Amino acid sequence: MELEEMQSIWSELSDQLEKQKKLTDKMIIMMTQEKYRKKINKVAYPETIGAIICYSAVAVILFNIQKLDTWYNLLAGVLCVLILIILPMVSLKFLYGIRNIDIANNSFKETLLNYAKRKKRFQKSMKWSYYLGFILMFAIMPVTAKIVNDKDIFLGVNSTWTLVTAIPLAILFFIVFSKWTMKWYSKNVNSAESLIKDLEESGL
Amino acid sequence: MSKEQEFTRIIKDNQGVIFKITAIYTNSREDQEDLYQEVVYQLWRAFDSFRGDSKISTWMYRVALNTAISRLKKEKRRGNQIGIDKIITFQSEQYDTQFEDRLKIVYAHIKKLNEIEKGLMLLLLEGKKYEEIATITGLSPSNVGTRISRIKQKLKKQIIK
Repeated sequence: MELEEMQSIWSELSDQLEKQKKLTDKMIIMMTQEKYRKKINKVAYPETIGAIICYSAVAVILFNIQKLDTWYNLLAGVLCVLILIILPMVSLKFLYGIRNIDIANNSFKETLLNYAKRKKRFQKSMKWSYYLGFILMFAIMPVTAKIVNDKDIFLGVNSTWTLVTAIPLAILFFIVFSKWTMKWYSKNVNSAESLIKDLEESGL
Repeated sequence: MSKEQEFTRIIKDNQGVIFKITAIYTNSREDQEDLYQEVVYQLWRAFDSFRGDSKISTWMYRVALNTAISRLKKEKRRGNQIGIDKIITFQSEQYDTQFEDRLKIVYAHIKKLNEIEKGLMLLLLEGKKYEEIATITGLSPSNVGTRISRIKQKLKKQIIK
């Protein structure tokens, strides 16, 4: 389709839309109210719920910290607390940052640049979040066992067979998982990077 | 005229523009409705900062395009499907399926472009001059020209394919 033909169809669309004006004053006023912004809430739901779960877990660990009576269980507990604090902060910082983009005064180019830069930073930090999540998966086990059942899982392992099979399996899983994560995030970061490069070059 | 009355008048006058912007930056009817509401909300929030230094349409295009590209959305759906069943938002009795098909092709071409090109293409189709496109986008007029030539080449390639 040639540009001229597209322009003619577009102009016809504009004419039809002009004839079909249906918005009422009430509908417009409703749209200006925060409570009608379904989309933002929908997207932020998982992030908010995730943050509440993480911080509740932090509270439980801190409240029961005296139960972690060996250095390794205490280390695992501290590690869990740190990861559970950092993980939600990464996504919440991004969501907050995006909402702070000055839509009213920025030009289209500035907004695109701003968004792409934040997204790139977010994608990079998300990659690390996945690794941290993986560490959390292991660190949380002795902590939970100790807090919930007062059981030291390190002392409970009475055969080397468990360690011999579990450790290589965990490493294998981690390698496959990291490769997949790297591939996925590199693609997103690269696309954000090329947009940033393109826009920054155009400013010269 | 109160602020609310002035605002509703402007939105009513330009509802087609908001519709077209939201249509090219979304892939489904639901997403489009969400974005439409978000654009109106952002326009309302920005309304106080509009001092009349630029044309109302320039201000409106800028805020709407900025909202479209910086919105928080779930991961893109696969492909370039146009999920909007009936592209013209408020269906009337005189529904023209032939026109609808041609319009779908236009949308399909636009949706193959990247984020900035989509915005430029929209402004071009809206009949904006390079200077006004430059004011809205923050690019220089010569850069707008270069990018539009590139878009035209891309469109030609799409036709050949």
